[in-house]
Amino acid sequence: MQAHVLLSIDREQIQPFFERVPELFEAYHGLESQNPEGYHELLYRVYRPYTNRMFDMIDEWMGFGQRSWHSDVGREVVLMLYAIRYPDTLLLESLSDEVFLDIRRISGYLHFMKHTYTIWDEDTRKGLARLGINIPSTDRADPFIYGAYISAIELLKELAPFYSFMEHDVPRQRLFQAALAGYGREG
Amino acid sequence: MSSNKVVEHFQPNFEAWIQQFNEWQSRIGFESSWLGDYQFEIKFDWGTAGDNIEFGDFEGMPKWERRMQVPQQNIRDAIINMVSVQGDTEFASVEQQWHLLESAPTEYDRKSALRIMCEEQRHGWQMAYVLCNYFGDHGIREAQKLLERNSSANPIRGEDDRPRLLGSFNEPINHWIDFFMFTHFIDRDGKFQLKMLSTSSFKPLAASMGPMLKEESFHLGTGANGIRRIVTQGVIPCALIQKYVNKWVSTGLDLFGVDESTSAEWAYVYGIKGRYDERDSEVDADRKHLNEESRGHYFDELKKEMVAINARRKDGEPGLLIPSDKFNRSVGKFKGDRHDIYGNPFEGGDEEWEQYIHDSLPSDEDEAQLEEYFKEEWIQFRELKE
Repeated sequence: MQAHVLLSIDREQIQPFFERVPELFEAYHGLESQNPEGYHELLYRVYRPYTNRMFDMIDEWMGFGQRSWHSDVGREVVLMLYAIRYPDTLLLESLSDEVFLDIRRISGYLHFMKHTYTIWDEDTRKGLARLGINIPSTDRADPFIYGAYISAIELLKELAPFYSFMEHDVPRQRLFQAALAGYGREG
Repeated sequence: MSSNKVVEHFQPNFEAWIQQFNEWQSRIGFESSWLGDYQFEIKFDWGTAGDNIEFGDFEGMPKWERRMQVPQQNIRDAIINMVSVQGDTEFASVEQQWHLLESAPTEYDRKSALRIMCEEQRHGWQMAYVLCNYFGDHGIREAQKLLERNSSANPIRGEDDRPRLLGSFNEPINHWIDFFMFTHFIDRDGKFQLKMLSTSSFKPLAASMGPMLKEESFHLGTGANGIRRIVTQGVIPCALIQKYVNKWVSTGLDLFGVDESTSAEWAYVYGIKGRYDERDSEVDADRKHLNEESRGHYFDELKKEMVAINARRKDGEPGLLIPSDKFNRSVGKFKGDRHDIYGNPFEGGDEEWEQYIHDSLPSDEDEAQLEEYFKEEWIQFRELKE
């Protein structure tokens, strides 16, 4: 999947997107539903050692309800978050079903605790599809699908010309993910 | 020619320059082991460089890809000068900043500063590569000079007799407030210079700018974020921070050069250095006032950035402001004039003026006061991720 994504990218198809990255980011990241102030606060307030309060803050920003994990599951997630190194995704396979079945939630934790992994988002997936990068839809934290998703965004970062890189206070993964989400919504 | 290219095999003259570069690192006190696995690469983005000359008297002709395609010796000299000045600033900033690594407030800041220094050195490599590979013996000599001049502010090897070419790059960067101010205000000037060269008629120079600009955005972000984090924390009073803003803004404005510059005009005529918004502008260039126009864009951007910084202020702290472009200038039409930070002519004698400057710019007492603040949690914590 990852190899397919990396080899089949069409540079002409992605060019119009690159020209609009700053505008798309501003529009999407600035939405009230995206709570940009809350996002920025999380960049500073989530750090090791990870606490339940930090998970709560991420859940709140992502719009999730209370977690109802067994304590063993919580420990398993924390251990995974300490162990995983970008861009590895295979560790996701070790998660219990309670967590494995929720890719959005786990991608949120990965994003705010690592700043390198990207939040899984349906609009972003649609944005990638508009660029000719088709990532299957899923709710599960499938390491291969999520791996292809983050690799595709990483590749776009690599290929993007300088004018896509506005000055901003967010990780570049968020810059491209939010711009892609805005692009996906248009489609 | 592919749109992106990383050069992997170097010519002997550049290999020789690399040896000199390694010696330079040792001389100035920068330990090569700090680079870790970072590799210096020569990167060209031919896709954004453009195929035809975009402005000036050669507009519409194919961009020059080799020295011998450049039609006149004075144009070749002007290109060499542009590349040399750019390269000079890249190495200078490392000379000014490396000593701060051991006093970083957080590991995140230390790694960010180190990344900036790695990338600045890479930019210097890129400029030296252009000189060595495109401009024969003259270029090779100029590339050597990039490593012979030395920032007067370098704590190990500052040299007043062979200083760096531009004023800001001989200013001491004593601590992390200076570092964040430098990356916010002076690297921002760098962004403007790189953008103006990104449309150059000399294609290898234009193609060098894309990758450099991409990296530069991180440097600016580090500066802007750093200042925002200091203001958010609220330990160092804004009145004290303001003095450092006053110092670095005035030197940043000076970097754009003299007003009514003939060299800027010739660079435009030759197509080697455009306006900041060259590709977007719908009006003809005012060739007599190119530096003023660029400085104006820079000044506007500083004011916009300051709004975002002020939004983080704690209650009761005064707002930070960008001082007038007439204040404390050493270059341009306001050079040596006496204006206050609001741009009003200063009314008073020499003694009062000295006092005003003392009160508006960082003094020895302010530096001592800062040292006390540095013993506290003076900047918002940010974790180093991964």
